Amino acid sequence: MDELMEILNEINPDIDYETEDNLIDGKVLDSFSIVSLVSEISEVFDIDISPRYLVPENFNSAKAMWEMIQTIQEEE
Amino acid sequence: MALTSFWFLVFVLGLLILYYLVPKKMQWWILLAGSMVFYLCADVRSILFILITATSVYFGARLMQKISDDQKARFTEGGLSREEKSTLKERNNRQRKAIMICVLLLNVGILCAFKYLHFALEQFNRVAALFGGQGIADTFQWVIPLGISFYTFQSVGYLVDVYWKKIDAEKNYGKMLLFVSFFPQITQGPISDFAQLSGELFGEHTFSYHNYAWGAQRMIWGFAKKILLADMLAPYISEVFQYYYYYTTFTLVICGFFYSVQIYADFSGYMDIVCGLCQMLGIRLSENFERPYFSKSVAEYWRRWHITLGAWFKTYIYYPIAVSKWNKKLGKLARTKISKRAGMNLPATVALVAVWLTTGLWHGASWGYIAWGGVNGMFIIVSLWLEPFYETCKKKLRINESAWLWRAFQTLRTFALVTVIKVLPEVGTLRQGLEYWKCAFTRPVILRNFVDYFPYPNLLDMESFQKAETLGIIAVGTILLFVVDLLQRKKPVREYFNKLPGIVRVVLMASLIAAIILFGNFGQGGGFMYAQF
Repeated sequence: MDELMEILNEINPDIDYETEDNLIDGKVLDSFSIVSLVSEISEVFDIDISPRYLVPENFNSAKAMWEMIQTIQEEE
Repeated sequence: MALTSFWFLVFVLGLLILYYLVPKKMQWWILLAGSMVFYLCADVRSILFILITATSVYFGARLMQKISDDQKARFTEGGLSREEKSTLKERNNRQRKAIMICVLLLNVGILCAFKYLHFALEQFNRVAALFGGQGIADTFQWVIPLGISFYTFQSVGYLVDVYWKKIDAEKNYGKMLLFVSFFPQITQGPISDFAQLSGELFGEHTFSYHNYAWGAQRMIWGFAKKILLADMLAPYISEVFQYYYYYTTFTLVICGFFYSVQIYADFSGYMDIVCGLCQMLGIRLSENFERPYFSKSVAEYWRRWHITLGAWFKTYIYYPIAVSKWNKKLGKLARTKISKRAGMNLPATVALVAVWLTTGLWHGASWGYIAWGGVNGMFIIVSLWLEPFYETCKKKLRINESAWLWRAFQTLRTFALVTVIKVLPEVGTLRQGLEYWKCAFTRPVILRNFVDYFPYPNLLDMESFQKAETLGIIAVGTILLFVVDLLQRKKPVREYFNKLPGIVRVVLMASLIAAIILFGNFGQGGGFMYAQF
């Protein structure tokens, strides 16, 4: 989780990712940020994030992103 | 059967009565029958193609689902080693992918054949002529099936969602056919995803006065936008676009502004009609507009104009390209060789180029539309790369981003940009579109008469009451269009409207209906503009 927080803070340090749970629906992260985020997460966690995971529910909060990473790791 | 015709209203009335009379479990059958009747009335020759799409997508998705279910059952049975599971999974994924690609190629192939064959042959013949070769005679005379761009995209979205295992394949063929051919959205969208629309279409709906009244209000407002404003502007826009070379700066700029008004009134009017109709049926359709002319950048504008098409491109083209393995490698290379920012922006840029060229082509088979897509994409890509530069400038110039003056400047700048881009493919060829703006920027002549600024056909020959009627409707309609959008900033304008006393609401709605009947430009505005796409 710390590594994920590091990636998120690098993309936008002004957001409190511990509490924010409306990152996509609240338009805090846009589609450009998502692409950068996916690229970083794939590299750091050595996973392949398929486009099917790119839905708002998986990126609305740091917790949701963490759960997505774990699901993909289990699948692989 | 045009949406603004008397027979469409009769059709809707009959459908509404039947819909609420039959047992709730059978309501979707009424929608399917209605959709088939609507399609047969509108385009009987093309029914075969919509059936091919619905059938191929239905069986393709069912086959992919069967492979997934069989694999799940085999895994649950147990007895397989890790390697055997992996081999089985890989084989099944290959099979599912092959099915998806075959169905995709069939449907996209039909779409391309209808929409792009003439354009492709024209380009081929041009190249052949350059090298002294003989071209291919373009003797293909066919009518593009009604709504093919919209229903193909919606069906492809469903197919890919099943392939990605986001949804389960629909078991009932009738329901699949309804999803593909649902009449309110067949001509101009919205392009819905199965997960959202299926719940609405196949659910059971009880008659509600609230839905009925609010839906009817929205329909009437939509008819007013289309018939009173968009169709009233149509002869004027057509006149200026056709003879743009006679006109000067002011006339061409004013016409550009009114073209933006016309296309918005036309497309959002259509959306109001179909969303209102669906609300009367208890069905919620996806929205296509979120006050687009109040956007502060081109990228934001495209998140608020034709929202469902943008969402489709984002889900099925932008993300798959942006996060593909080869594109991520490209980003990694840019990061090590150029900069961290280049590494972050390059994959998105590659995907954006693909999205905007496809968006241009989707709108029409011409260089004008390709250029239109390219210019839109260019503005978004340049903004992405220059973002740090903009931020530095804003800090140095001490710009307060929340100041209303700055926000007003951003809104007007975006409106001007999208208006210039919008006109490009609409005048005729790309060269004519460019010439239009060249004339607009190089002929600043002061004109003497109002008619020179606003050359509405036959305006000088009109009786004075006719003049007042035409110009008054255009002026009031345009102001209302923007005022309503401004009011929608906080909540739907119908919430304000429905707080008015009942008698006031009835009088206002009756006046609007009377205005449509008395002043409507029936028969001169043509069909809906987005239906041509």
